[in-house]
Amino acid sequence: MTDLWSAPAMGERTPEPGNVIGEAPAPLTERATRPSPFPDRAARHWILSAIFWLTVVDLFGLVLATEFVTPEAFGGISWLSFSRIRPSHVSGVILAWLTMMYFGALFYMLPRLIGTRGMWSERLGVWCAWAWNLMFLLGVIGLLTGHSQGREYGEFIWPIDILLLVVWLANVVNILATVSLRTIRPIYVSVWFFIASPIWLAVDYAIGNVIWRPGNVWGAPSGALEGSLSDAMLNWWYAHNLFGLWLTPMLIAITYYMVPRITNTPLYSYTLSLISFWGMAFLYTGVGDHHILQSPTPSWLKTIAEVSSWALLIPVFAFTINILGTMKGNWDKFFTNLPLRFTLTAFFFYFLVNIQGAFEAIQPFNKLQHFTNFVVAHAHLALLGAFTILGMGVIDYIVAQVYARPLFSRTLTEWQYWLVTVGFTGFFSVLTLAGFQQGFSWAEGIPEVNVLPQLHAYYIARGIFGAMIVVSGIVQIVNVGMTIFTNTHERRRRETLRVAEAVAPPLSG
Amino acid sequence: MDGERTQTQHDGPERPRGWAPHPREQMLITPLVAGLGGLLAFFTVVFIVVWLPIHTFDPPASLDWAPLSDQAVKGRNLFAQNGCYVCHSGYSRPQDVRESLYFLYPKVSQPGDFYGSDQSPNLLGTERTGPDLSQESGWHPDDWQRAHFYDPRFVDPLSLMPPMKSLFSDTQIEQLITFVETRSGKSGLLRYAGQLYSKHVVTTNQGFPQPYTGFQGAHKPILEGNDKILNPPKDQLEEAPNLAQIDRSYWLSANPLPVTEENLLRGKEVFLQRCVGCHGIAGDGKGPGAAFMSPSPADFTSADDACCGGDTGPGDFYYRILRGWPGTGMENFGDRLSVDDIWRVVLFVKTIPNHTLRKNVVPEPKDYIVWQPSKELIAWLKSRQKPTGNASFSKKAVTDPFMQEAMRVLPGLAPGDKFLLNDGKTPLSLDDAAAGIKAIYQDLLDRAWNEARARGNKLPPEVQKAIPPTVPGQQ
Repeated sequence: MTDLWSAPAMGERTPEPGNVIGEAPAPLTERATRPSPFPDRAARHWILSAIFWLTVVDLFGLVLATEFVTPEAFGGISWLSFSRIRPSHVSGVILAWLTMMYFGALFYMLPRLIGTRGMWSERLGVWCAWAWNLMFLLGVIGLLTGHSQGREYGEFIWPIDILLLVVWLANVVNILATVSLRTIRPIYVSVWFFIASPIWLAVDYAIGNVIWRPGNVWGAPSGALEGSLSDAMLNWWYAHNLFGLWLTPMLIAITYYMVPRITNTPLYSYTLSLISFWGMAFLYTGVGDHHILQSPTPSWLKTIAEVSSWALLIPVFAFTINILGTMKGNWDKFFTNLPLRFTLTAFFFYFLVNIQGAFEAIQPFNKLQHFTNFVVAHAHLALLGAFTILGMGVIDYIVAQVYARPLFSRTLTEWQYWLVTVGFTGFFSVLTLAGFQQGFSWAEGIPEVNVLPQLHAYYIARGIFGAMIVVSGIVQIVNVGMTIFTNTHERRRRETLRVAEAVAPPLSG
Repeated sequence: MDGERTQTQHDGPERPRGWAPHPREQMLITPLVAGLGGLLAFFTVVFIVVWLPIHTFDPPASLDWAPLSDQAVKGRNLFAQNGCYVCHSGYSRPQDVRESLYFLYPKVSQPGDFYGSDQSPNLLGTERTGPDLSQESGWHPDDWQRAHFYDPRFVDPLSLMPPMKSLFSDTQIEQLITFVETRSGKSGLLRYAGQLYSKHVVTTNQGFPQPYTGFQGAHKPILEGNDKILNPPKDQLEEAPNLAQIDRSYWLSANPLPVTEENLLRGKEVFLQRCVGCHGIAGDGKGPGAAFMSPSPADFTSADDACCGGDTGPGDFYYRILRGWPGTGMENFGDRLSVDDIWRVVLFVKTIPNHTLRKNVVPEPKDYIVWQPSKELIAWLKSRQKPTGNASFSKKAVTDPFMQEAMRVLPGLAPGDKFLLNDGKTPLSLDDAAAGIKAIYQDLLDRAWNEARARGNKLPPEVQKAIPPTVPGQQ
């Protein structure tokens, strides 16, 4: 029996300093360019789609940031109106960019972790990628033309919901069938999440979007409960579980893969892995009502939400300790290995977002900051700081592995890292300050419109930092595109060989 | 180097005693445990936090609850489909309700306010880039809403709201306005009824036609009053109906602030910041939003009006900025401007006939036109300005909500006052207003109730409908 817990990822070439990210000099061995034994066709389709959507949804965000500075900017164009772009931005980040990146990573990592040659059906995975792209395209066209269910995070209209669920379930079947073919019996902690998380989300999405009530299938009112407050409780339970049962578990699963794999160190503790998995399953599901803490919903539900939000720190700390334990003695790689640097930066922001979220979920602090930009900053801390930065690192790592060559340019990757990290940090700080400005002003009885002129400077700064993030995504597209279409590694290797041969004739056998 | 790495691999970093680095046989997670066990954990919590509240939490309709009309339901769907909820929340919290914000948040939302099946999907929202709209009904007339939807900066230059001119047709915008004007339950319907009644009063009194519907105002000329159809009663001051909408204690108020260059300049600043959308960059009442409004916005360029009008005293201007002018597009700025700033705007408005709105012109004290009440006005006031006739001094508090609303939109009327509007035939008194507002309110409520019943919506017992509305907040 292969012990996964001491050899974190199976079937993959041992990473050598230099072959992952284009650190020179590239090793002059055959092994470095040997094609991967895994087909990875599904993974490639999902990953490359994800990179494309990242820039699209970033640009949506930039449009929003511009409209905060000059609301007339796109005044004449109905589909660029703030109220239609905002749901497209949010849905796009979650369903197009992060979900496609996560499935790509899953299709890459799962076979390597359980010892199969690829997914059960790579072809199904590829078809699903195209269907998912089509689903999102149709959905976002719907939102931009005013066809929305009008429920936050559940805006896609009923036919799109159905299409989404069909594709999602096909992916679940593919994953479960692959797991059933495994050659390595005890499954690694990442695989627990890879099995459980897609199932959780399928159920969460179906219940949360009330798919048994199609109503008017082309827009509101559909996919909502009859009673307004019941619908709100369901809505926020569902919306929070997009994070709690899909985006976060996948971040944890991928971090559990990336850190031991890149540092070539076994995971610190099995017990902590158990705590982080079951803690997540039990404690994350009940926090949704903290989004509507001051609304006229039942107090006992708010209490559950508040307590769960704090209890959530148990699996969060378990995960944190587990990763820090694994990193012990490996911190030099944080500076030399870029995918690891992305992963740990995301890990740091993930830890921060949970601490922040716990405080936001209690009444006194919630009173001050709810409805303000503080919440927007918090959402970006999770979706941009944690999930997106992780996704960028994962993609850089996987592309190099799948195409069996170093990334086109390490400089570009450094630029990508610093643009997104600095851009995000500025973005987050500015919106947090703006949130306090709003919260304290409102608490004094100053109406919303009178605070707007004071927010102008913050909004300009946010737009500039946001533009850095857009550029970072474009840098990644260029870098990945050049990696795929120009094989620098091979060229560099041949050049070196030619020089070597010119200087000294090859030694005889 | 290699040797060290291998060693690390086997030993790993130090762990607390008892923490298993490798899976024990009895604690192995199999795919079945991860999949089914995960689902079991999930559904356990779902039962508690989803199934339980949805099946046990069913508050009855609050006393303030009212159903939506068919038109309003269509508007509600447009509100949801176009993402309006991303900036406007749909409930007011306990800490929102305070005297200074009575205009935005007159009451705390109750569970029973969300009763019924016409309020799906929920529109609670999570962000307030704009104000909460759960209590918006009736604070603005329909024509203000039309201008605001067409381009929010027509009526509020500070607004960040996107223009809706390219999003909605004329029919759709009327549906959306109906939703906004009737979404706040009975107290909102009462305010809206007061707004509609006041619209009737101000247009009849000044000989104005009804405002353009939809976005027509963007393409039509500014409306003008027709003096020919007016026939002011002989024994009545011509401005009396206008004064009826201003609390009588303000009729003769002088400026509490000195006319200094500093005050005038601040007044100009505020005027340019907030007022030019309707009153125009030249103060002539021809701003971009003016064509939507009936009656059209006031023109401040006449020196005659500034010095000698019957209802253009500083106190009159102050009151209209502070509390708005129900029935016209003039809204309530009391929650947004300080008392001092309102007075400074009043001072500045009195200098506009001397071209102080021109670019780079600093208004000077010599530009200020002093207002003098006319002889007719003083004579008229002498017969009116008596504490005994003032409802505010009455020992018995008014409890009838329709009378309370009538007094809100016609604060200058004494209980005994019986006037005619300037068309010479329409009566104006608090009793007439209360009766008119009650009739409009009943009509709005009956129509919504019948349409909700025809739609097959869940309705509370019939007695709920008969319970009169309340007037929440400081009015």
